Parts: sequence; C-alpha cells; structure tokens
Amino acid sequence: MHNTDRPAVAASTDAVIRVAGLAKEYRVYDKPEGLLASVRGLFRRRSRVVEALRGVDLAVGQGEFVALLGPNGAGKTTLLKLLSGIITPTRGAATVLGHVPWERADAFRRRFALVMGQRNQLWWDLPAAESFRLHQEIYRIEPARFERTRDELVDMLGVRDLMLRPVRDLSLGERMKLELVAALLHEPEVLFLDEPTIGLDVVAQHTIHQFLRHVQKERRTTVVLTTHYMKDVAALCERVVVITRGSILYDGSLQRIVDRFTTHKIVTLDFDEAPDRDRVERFGFPCEVRGPRVVLRIDRGRIADALPTLLRSEGVRDVSVEDVPLEEIVAELFRSGGRAAGLQESAS
Amino acid sequence: MTRYLAIFLTCARACLVRDMTFRANFILECVTSLGWMSMNLAFYLLIFQFTPEIGRGTGWSREPFFAFVATGLLINSIVQALFMPSAEELTEMVRSGGLDAVLVQPLDAQFMLSMHRVDFSSFANGFVGLGLLAWAVPRLDQPPSLLAWLLYPLLVLCGVAILYGLVIMLAAATILMGRNQSLYDFWFYLTNFSRYPAEIYAGPWGGPIRTVCTFVIPILLVVNVPARVIAQPLEGRAWGLVAAAVVAAIVSLVVSRFVFQAALAKYRSASS
Repeated sequence: MHNTDRPAVAASTDAVIRVAGLAKEYRVYDKPEGLLASVRGLFRRRSRVVEALRGVDLAVGQGEFVALLGPNGAGKTTLLKLLSGIITPTRGAATVLGHVPWERADAFRRRFALVMGQRNQLWWDLPAAESFRLHQEIYRIEPARFERTRDELVDMLGVRDLMLRPVRDLSLGERMKLELVAALLHEPEVLFLDEPTIGLDVVAQHTIHQFLRHVQKERRTTVVLTTHYMKDVAALCERVVVITRGSILYDGSLQRIVDRFTTHKIVTLDFDEAPDRDRVERFGFPCEVRGPRVVLRIDRGRIADALPTLLRSEGVRDVSVEDVPLEEIVAELFRSGGRAAGLQESAS
Repeated sequence: MTRYLAIFLTCARACLVRDMTFRANFILECVTSLGWMSMNLAFYLLIFQFTPEIGRGTGWSREPFFAFVATGLLINSIVQALFMPSAEELTEMVRSGGLDAVLVQPLDAQFMLSMHRVDFSSFANGFVGLGLLAWAVPRLDQPPSLLAWLLYPLLVLCGVAILYGLVIMLAAATILMGRNQSLYDFWFYLTNFSRYPAEIYAGPWGGPIRTVCTFVIPILLVVNVPARVIAQPLEGRAWGLVAAAVVAAIVSLVVSRFVFQAALAKYRSASS
C-alpha cells in the first residue's frame, strides 16, 4: 500500500480516472555480447519478465492537475499509455471518463488528448494549419467552433503566424506549442501530458505553464502530467503522485513532500569581507564558502533563532533564506524510496 | 462513411500539398516510375519478336498480353498510390512509437494506418496503363462484350482488395515484430508472381506455384482475372475465375482485418 493523504479523492464517486490493481508486464530478450552469442541467439534466446507497473491504485477527480513523478523507467509513461488505451494491461482495471481505455471506443477517444513531448504528432513537412484541419475532420468539430477554438488557442500561445509555416522549420518550443493547440482543438475533458516541456528554454516553459494553467482553470480539464522538471510541478500541480519501480510511493500534495523531506533551509550570507569559518559554523553547516559569500544549511527548527543573530552579526551585508531546491528533495525521495522521511512508515 | 471520405480527402489534399512543395522530388519519382515501366514494355516487345504467343494456345498474343500488362499497371498503381506509402511508414511508426498518436484518435486505426499517405506520383503508371489498355483493346481479335466491360472495374477492385489484404497482413506483422524493414522487399517478391499470365506456371515446378498462388495466397487472381475478362472471350472457365476473385477479395479483407486487430491488441509501444 502506498502513502496517501487523499483518501477522499480515492473514494470519491465523481473521479474521472479510476485505477485498481493495474499491472503491466513486458517480456524482454537479453542479448549477450559478442558474435558467437548473437548467432546462438538466433536459435535460443533468453527472456525475462519486466514489471513496468505493479498493481497501481489511483483516483483522479474532475479538474485536478496531477503530476506523475519518478525516475526513468519508473512506470509513469506506461501508466499514461494504459490510461489512454495505447497498450493493454497484464492485470487490473481502469476507467477514464467511465470507459475502459484499452477498448478504444470512439466515444472515449473523442473526450481526451495525449501530448508526448518527445514525439511529433503534426505532419512534419506541412504547416500545422493542415494538421489542424485533419483534426477537425477526425474529431468532427463544427467549423465555427473549430475556428473559434483554434484562434483562441493560437492567440493564447502567440503562434498565429507559425501555424502557416512547415513544422520542420519550427523550433522545438514552437512545435510543442502547436502540438498543444492540436491536442486541445476538440476541447478534451482529460489531458495526458508526457514530458511536454522537455528540451524547452525557460521562456517557452513559462508560456506553456501559463497556458496550461489557464486551460485547466477555464475548462475544468483534468490534467495528468509526467515530467522531470520540478518547475513544471511547482508551477502547475497541487497533487503529486510519485512512482518508483512500478509502484506508487506517494500520493498527495507537493507541499507535504517539501515539509516531510526538508529538514533544513539554505541561508546565503554576504559579508563585507571573507569571514572566519568558525564564526559561521556555529549557525549551521557551511556547504559553500566563496570569498565574502557563505551558504549555510541550517536546521528548520533552529532558523527562527539563528536568523536574528545572523542579522545582528557584524559585517553582514545581506541575508537570503530559501527552501532546499525541489529537484534535490525529489531526488532524495527517489533514492531513499520514501523511507528516509518516514513516508512508508506512515502509510498505514 | 462520409466522415471517412472527408478524412481521406483531407489527408490526400495534404499529401498533394506536400508533393507540390517538393516539386523536383515529385517529378523525379514520376520519371523514375515511368522509366522503369517503359523498360518493361520494351522487354515485352522484345519477347514478341521471337514468339507470337506466350504459351501455345493460351490466347496471350501481343495485344491481349498488353491488355494484361495494362491491367497490372492499373491495379498496382492504385495500391502503390493509396496503400503502400502508409504501410511502409508503419515500420517507422512502430519503431519510433508514432503509432501511439493514431491509436488515441477516434477513428478506425486500420483505415488511418493504411490510407493516410497518398503517393500521387504512382498514379502516373495507372494513367499509362489506361493508355495502353485504350491501345490494346481495339486491336483484340474479339472485342470485349458489354458484360465484360461491366465486370472489368469490379474485378480490378477485387484485385486491389486482395493486394490490400496482403499489405495489411504484412503491416500486422510489423506491429507484432516491432521491426519489419523487409516489408517492401517481401511485397515485391510476392507480387512478382502476379505480373504474368497464370498459364506460364505449368509443369512440375509451375503447377505447385500456381496452386499456392491461387488458393493459398491468391496473388494469381489479382491481374489474371480482370485481364482475362477484358482480353479473352468470357466463357466456361472464366466464370469460375470471376467467382474465385470475388471470394478471394472478400476473404482477404476479412482475414486481414482480423489479423490486424489481433496485432493491435498486442501492440507494445516504443519506450519514450
């Protein structure tokens, strides 16, 4: 059983996504190194079963913005592929908008969209406008509604001029914005996003964050996002589901992870001149000392006492206090499998 | 049905726009295709310098044989233009995971995967086939009857359907195997048998080939039946072949549909 602080959602009757004991196994073939082994492999191959997902339970309510976090190979994308009906599970059950995804009913497929950051869904050699027209036909969108939605989306993302240029001539960020427009033309109720900001610069990331926030708020779209960028999570998601080795390790608020995993804060001090190490060590562990700048890790419990003293200290010009970077917290969570912060213990 | 036609026309229009964008490539493809076909026709003319008929008493003298070749060009150009580009692209889609995008769309995956790309340059051979037919038919000893003219387009469609079924089954193999780069080569080897009159497959080697290519993989019915209907008198055994072509087309479509759906159910998707 995984840790969760969301029993109300799981038990809720209005959940649009319900997953119970979902498991996916793949048979993979091991290929030993060398020519002889390759020839031998033509006649006899060794295979093993890989468990991509091991009995996952999950419920997502309407209008939620949920982040699936986990290291590479944890099972995040497998879960998205199962929920969008691309692959079929080995065991377990799931419904999305009341449909079993892998039955691939048209009535279901009209109501959701999947955007994969590492894959191009637009026609490569043609302007995106041509792909939009095809989407209009596929999703049977009324011409007036199609034009209204398309115009609204391209204006929001600032890509009106780009939709007439061949996709192959666009940058990665421009392409991703147009991918999002295509995915949202039919106004899906559920949106699956698989690493939508991968490889994008900070400006493009920021634009996409604002856009997704707006869409989710205005349309009450349920969004499930996989990402390795903590900026995506911090900007968009209130709820985080951490998956490692095919199992859900944590399901709850982002703030709770931060609270549980952060035992200290980062305090940066700028002195008039380089201070003595002994002078700063009594406040906390100096993780960086560079000339007059010192970066300290101070226990959260001690921060209220330490700060006034630091501010009164002679030669201190500036003080800033920050949380430990989210990336560091999540990396620690993945590494420890939740044990370090007591997530497993509190599961029951 | 209207919606699928609209989707097909949208895809076809997009392909035409793309082909027009790369004009030089489009023209080169047409020229290459026409060049290959011209060499084949020249080769057949060369053969008829040495023999009045392919196989004694078969009825495949020069003009009927060119009606046969024209029918083959017509059928193959339809398949090459409408289905093969999509089937060839499927290999890459399966390998790269591009197939995922098709599976989430609310329409029949087989339709989209077999018809989303149209190669307009392949129609060039079809037009030459029609021209060749217009040259050969008036020169036949016995002109085709009205019934033959009515049956001809139906049987051409049956030929297209048989080949389409084979394309789809090869595509299904691609989905199951994850990689099938020899799809086009296999297709070429298989359809090679359909390019000549069935009568040449005789004797201890030819007989078994004819049986397999008629009843197991009905590739010999694809061109032979419509070509025979238009180029030779419609009598006796021809009716059996007409029935066989219709049945083979239906079976080919049904079996390929079943195989393709089974393959899609086992699709693993590529790792991202």
